[in-house]
Amino acid sequence: MSVLLFVEPDDDLSLQALTFARSLGDVKAVSVDGPYAPAAWAAAIAGAAGDADAIVAAGSDRGNELLAHVSARLDQPFAANVTALDGDVVTRIRWGGSLLEQARLHGEPKLLTVAPHTQPAAEAVPVEQLALPADADTSVRVLETVSESSGGISLRDAKVVVSGGRGVGSSEAFAIIEELAELLGGAVGCSRVVTSAGWRPHTDQVGQTGTKISADLYVACGISGATQHIAGAKGAKKILAINSDPEAPILASADYAVIGDLHEIVPAVSAELRRVRSS
Amino acid sequence: MRRAKPNDRPPDVPRRVRNELEIVLGQRKLLQRLVPGLMHAFIFWGFLVLFPTIVMAMIAAVDKHTELPWLGHQTWFGWMVDLFVVLVLVGVGAAVYIRKVVRPPRFQGSHSGDADFILFMIAGVVTTLLCWHAAAHAAGLNDHVGPLSAALAKAFPSHGLEERVFVWAHLAFVLGFLRYLPYSKHLHIATAAVNVWLARTSRPGRLEPLRFDVPDDELRFGTATIFDLTRKEVMDGFSCTECGRCQDACPAWATGKVLSPKLLIMGVRDQVLAQSTEPILGNGVPEQMIWDCVTCGACVEACPVSIEHIDHIVDLRRSRVMVDSQFPAEAEPMLRDVERAGNPWGKPQTERAAWAEELGVRVLEPGDRPPEYLYWVGCAASFDERAKKSAESTAKLLQQAGVDFAILGPREACTGDPARRMGNEYVFQAYAEQNVATLREQRVRKIVASCPHCFNTLANEYGDFGGSFEVLHHTELLAELVRDGRLQPKADAKPITYHDSCYLARHNDVRMEPRELVAAVGQPIEMKRSGKQTFCCGAGGAHMWMEEAGKPINAERAREAIDTGAETLAVACPFCTVMLDDGVRETGSPMRVADVSTLLAESME
Repeated sequence: MSVLLFVEPDDDLSLQALTFARSLGDVKAVSVDGPYAPAAWAAAIAGAAGDADAIVAAGSDRGNELLAHVSARLDQPFAANVTALDGDVVTRIRWGGSLLEQARLHGEPKLLTVAPHTQPAAEAVPVEQLALPADADTSVRVLETVSESSGGISLRDAKVVVSGGRGVGSSEAFAIIEELAELLGGAVGCSRVVTSAGWRPHTDQVGQTGTKISADLYVACGISGATQHIAGAKGAKKILAINSDPEAPILASADYAVIGDLHEIVPAVSAELRRVRSS
Repeated sequence: MRRAKPNDRPPDVPRRVRNELEIVLGQRKLLQRLVPGLMHAFIFWGFLVLFPTIVMAMIAAVDKHTELPWLGHQTWFGWMVDLFVVLVLVGVGAAVYIRKVVRPPRFQGSHSGDADFILFMIAGVVTTLLCWHAAAHAAGLNDHVGPLSAALAKAFPSHGLEERVFVWAHLAFVLGFLRYLPYSKHLHIATAAVNVWLARTSRPGRLEPLRFDVPDDELRFGTATIFDLTRKEVMDGFSCTECGRCQDACPAWATGKVLSPKLLIMGVRDQVLAQSTEPILGNGVPEQMIWDCVTCGACVEACPVSIEHIDHIVDLRRSRVMVDSQFPAEAEPMLRDVERAGNPWGKPQTERAAWAEELGVRVLEPGDRPPEYLYWVGCAASFDERAKKSAESTAKLLQQAGVDFAILGPREACTGDPARRMGNEYVFQAYAEQNVATLREQRVRKIVASCPHCFNTLANEYGDFGGSFEVLHHTELLAELVRDGRLQPKADAKPITYHDSCYLARHNDVRMEPRELVAAVGQPIEMKRSGKQTFCCGAGGAHMWMEEAGKPINAERAREAIDTGAETLAVACPFCTVMLDDGVRETGSPMRVADVSTLLAESME
């Protein structure tokens, strides 16, 4: 089987896709010159297909977008996030990783992307640079890349997030939350109720309609834990809940819990941290 | 109108005739409000009864000795004319009183000059009619008048000049009014009956699917400009009388949002009249309006001329989401999670049946014997800690009653409702097809759904995708089991108020069964707004996953529930559970919010 593989420079997922492609047969690795322009790049890749039996890319946002364009251009079916190909049966990941589906992939050449983190990365290989076709459609292309400004610790990247909910009681009472966050070198978060009440800005909101965090430790103080909130906090490695209600839904998701009044517990923890550090 | 897109609606003539009789002739929707309803009914019925007098006047204007055959010689008709002239004048008087003295806020944004002029014309038409009859009687030209005309005739001399003056004055009012009519909101006398005829005959909860398998020139991705509107939507605009009943019922408007269903329809109409090629959003209709809507249907229920506001809003959303990809950013994770994870919170599908493990609920595998009822749990009751209690209670009750049921577990996916109401018809249709295929593969015939939104989609919308099932809401099945004595709850004295979910009560007319259950476990107290007049919890139309500006809808409703003095607020929807529980907690009230099924399960123990 001959495989045409699209590779992005310095991209681990592309190297994982290379491992997969090698398991299928002979691999020709290609990339495209110039700024990213999905329709034009897809035209270049489709043009280089020749008599390849399969066109493969990493299952990244870019890989999936490109192969979707290639699929439309060649009028062939495309399977995304594939973990195995056996004859014409693909195994692919669906529903955010909760389901493996086997499906028959017809079409010639076979178009597929490789599910991220399902293969070990291969050693880099020489990559052939494809030129854009003369009539390439570059109406959608990358003009400029802007990196996010980094003022303070962002909620999304913070290693520790200390968050307050309705139980905190007022915007002034958030002082104890802020204090603990500062001592732990983390960011302050809050629940939707708190932003609705105007105690904190929406940028502090953790949850499905706010920021999804990926901290090592999430401290949820006086947060009952609506599903919307948990959806934003589930990326945290450990969740510590401080809540006076032993029936609060958050306890179902918490790794550790303290049942009690946060207005006593949080200052006590801060005081203890100070004491330990000063001694 | 000719360029408008066709609506794909069944003929269903008997139902349409019934709508005409009830809504137009019977004035059913208008009479939802007694005083303004009677005011309008008097004028409308007067218009019908007095219609022949216009022909009579036209004949008399030419030849005062000729009368309309038969009817012109009926004294009872003369009496009817007198009676309805009075009723119309009472109606006009009431209208003036409402508009000038009461000044209800529903008229905010309506054209009041237009209304004043119309009332003046109506009064003019009937007053000149009465005077013409009286003068004709005085001149010995009409012996068939009623008592009022006869009494008034005494004020007129017998030489007949006044008869000429008033017959022409009457016709001048009639013809002048006709000339003015097409340019005014009073056009509704021509369009309303047509609009009522065209209105959907299915349950109001059903949205019409967009069809993606048609030739390119017929493809429609909702509404961007007026040229994308359906015929019904164009007709809606021309039927609106700016009466503001929709605005009065709207929970978004009541809590200070931008949306007013009335101003939205007026905005669409103005764009149509201007034949504008600009997008409707941002020109006739402010962008924020369509995102404020909770699709509760209070406006549609209130509208006396069967305007279907939700269709406009969903169509405008469809275009924004599917064509422009522009919508409130906070809804994006929900749409992505529905699409990728099969549920709006992005929870692992494998955990969907976790709540049922301890209870030993049967999970259907391919090829299994079909159960009598498939229990459709829904995402909320599968994953949300508070809503799960309802699923547990329902399953326990079904087990106690010996009902043969099973769940789909990880193969149950989101019905697609939040994506559809948000405007993402693609994602909805993909899930509709997938779920229908799973249900058919399992040879399911009867479904009991825990969530009113799932219930509505399964019962009313999956039919468009090849899925016809007998679908019940869990309160319906549980009420049946109580009625049959298969469940025997013990009622106690605790006062309970029941909150109607929009998608049960208004969109699907399920009102009695939950109340039967409430009455079986406690002492029911009604809230001010209940049944089809219920007030939304704030979560519908994908608002469960959106941020709310200003005063929260759930707080408003929670306060109304607390004001009843009930200890418990019973609900029948997982979203209402979460929203109202939040709303009640906000106030610090000790009121408990629980699903009807949970209250029933507790009363069994």
